[in-house]
Amino acid sequence: MATDQVPHGSIHIAPRAIATIAYQAAVESYGVVGLASKNVFDGLTNFIVKDPTHGIEVRYEGEAISIDLYVVVEYGTNIKAVADSVASTVRFHVEKAIGLPILEVNVHVQGLRMSNAE
Amino acid sequence: MDTESPPTSLRIAVLQQYPVNGRAVKHLAEAAYAWLEANKQTVNALNVFPVPDGDTGTNMVLTMKSAIEELNKVHENEAGEMLAALAQGALMGARGNSGVILSQLWRGFARSVEGKESLNSQDLAQAFVTARDTAYKGVVRPVEGTILTVAKDMAAAAESAASEGISPIPLLRRVSQAAKDSVQRTPELLPILKQAGVVDSGGKGLALLMEGMLRWVEGHQLHTAETIAQPIAAMNLEAATESVEEGQDYEVVVDFRPHTELDLPRFYSDLEKMGTSIQVGEGQDMYRMHIHVPADKRNEPLDYIETIGNWTNVKMENLMSQMDEIRSKVSKQPPKVAMVQPDEIAVVTVAAGAGITRHFAELGAAAIVEGGQTMNPSTADLLASLENLPTDKVIILPNNKNIIMTANAAAELTVKKAVVVPTTSIPEGFAAMLRHNPKGDLEAVANEMKDGLAEVQTGEITTATRDVEIDGVKVKVGQIIGLHNDKMVIAADDVEKACLKLLKQMKANEYEAITIFYGEDVHAEQAAEITDSIREAYPEKVVDVHEGGQPHYQFILSVE
Repeated sequence: MATDQVPHGSIHIAPRAIATIAYQAAVESYGVVGLASKNVFDGLTNFIVKDPTHGIEVRYEGEAISIDLYVVVEYGTNIKAVADSVASTVRFHVEKAIGLPILEVNVHVQGLRMSNAE
Repeated sequence: MDTESPPTSLRIAVLQQYPVNGRAVKHLAEAAYAWLEANKQTVNALNVFPVPDGDTGTNMVLTMKSAIEELNKVHENEAGEMLAALAQGALMGARGNSGVILSQLWRGFARSVEGKESLNSQDLAQAFVTARDTAYKGVVRPVEGTILTVAKDMAAAAESAASEGISPIPLLRRVSQAAKDSVQRTPELLPILKQAGVVDSGGKGLALLMEGMLRWVEGHQLHTAETIAQPIAAMNLEAATESVEEGQDYEVVVDFRPHTELDLPRFYSDLEKMGTSIQVGEGQDMYRMHIHVPADKRNEPLDYIETIGNWTNVKMENLMSQMDEIRSKVSKQPPKVAMVQPDEIAVVTVAAGAGITRHFAELGAAAIVEGGQTMNPSTADLLASLENLPTDKVIILPNNKNIIMTANAAAELTVKKAVVVPTTSIPEGFAAMLRHNPKGDLEAVANEMKDGLAEVQTGEITTATRDVEIDGVKVKVGQIIGLHNDKMVIAADDVEKACLKLLKQMKANEYEAITIFYGEDVHAEQAAEITDSIREAYPEKVVDVHEGGQPHYQFILSVE
């Protein structure tokens, strides 16, 4: 569990809470145009999701917290740079909010969105 | 670049009259890149977030570098094709958030002028608008007060200039001015910038690209930044610490009063020969400089400052050891070692584990050398760290009996006055630290520390690496053993039993407090469980538990 010892007891942070923080950070990260359902069988209707528990997976392994992001990236951007950037943004915001270190942030690019500027 | 350019007056005349052709695009882009490169450190210094974008200036420069390389492969004098290559290069070389946004701006710009041989004012205005739209499409929730806002204000300026029928170069001048103004407004839009007392770094980078183009048109130099000193309060040294470049291992911060008025451009260019991440702050009658330098040049900034003025305060940190700790799982904040004044006593201590290191830092150690049971530091390691301190009175805490000899050797070799307080364990080190008085007399403080050692008992829990029998204690490999003041006294089958047996052996019930440091291989949960059973066994004692992060020992117990 994401548990922190404090003088009066302990604090437990649910995965969903962490997912919400990660979601907010991800959608403000440049080049990420949406979170995608991690399961392809969920179908195309909910390919881009607005629910922070879809598209973001938070796992606790003992003390360690891992976050998996399933993202849709704007076509025409440098995907690696966007992925690096969203991973570090999410890590920074989550660590800042919960005060515990994140073991890893994995970015899965589930698709690209083509938007015409013309 | 300047050698192949026409004379300035002619250049202005030509550019004022004609649309921007392929060759002009190339010159303008190269000028933009050169000027950004020259001002890279200024942009880097504007970072407010320690993480998300690393060094914005460096990222944007690398993105532009790749763009220019691609541009140089084009030989036709066609603006559209030049810009397409530029955009392609920017995309491939995009680094960091700001680099990705910059590449999107170029992509939109290039798409708008596809197939055009040269660009008139209408084309340019349309290109700035498309650049803005393309950039905004790349993010779900655009944050205002960033490079995106600056791009938006630039597009608006370009549109209004074009509608007035202004020719291309004056249009670019308007756009450049709009970018500068927009950058100045970013703190109003983004509170975090205002708090940090800076403008947006990505926006500043974009404005510099535009400024570089105009500087080329007007024949100004593009290789040396026009430097200014910022107010000391606006210096953001923590952000600078977060982004350490390879080889720039030491951070040096010097407060000084120059003998005569400081020649800033010269000062900067002298510092640039020594290192990176240069920042200069100006306060009342004094300056503060910040620089990252390689290990072999760590004394150069101070030597240099002494030639131009008197320094009042020096801070030096080994960034590599700090970065290691940032990376290690325990540490959330790099330990801030004590700033030592020249006439004070500094303590150099040996420690392993992020938690223990941080604890020493909190207690006021001026330098911490990594090392311990399985990894003894060399005399040179110790010497280097004590030579670095801005004082000549040093106390060394070896914290391990195997390191006392090394510490003694370092104390003999140094020209400074160094005294070794022969601590043989981490708890003894802490006990000594608690008696530290930086303003005291060196011998007296060292003696005071030595007296403190008798008051603490050290217990260490570790795993036996071979079968052995010592003093009647039989141990099999893999069993947990307990050491009391470095002597093996107990063996047990699990860590919890070992802790309790060891504490009993140490006669913990005759003391007041038990402090527990759990090691890198112990989970916080497990440590909490064991702490609970220790509290149960010693209900009247003060029991404290800390994350030590030390290797080798599952637990270090201190009883006093």
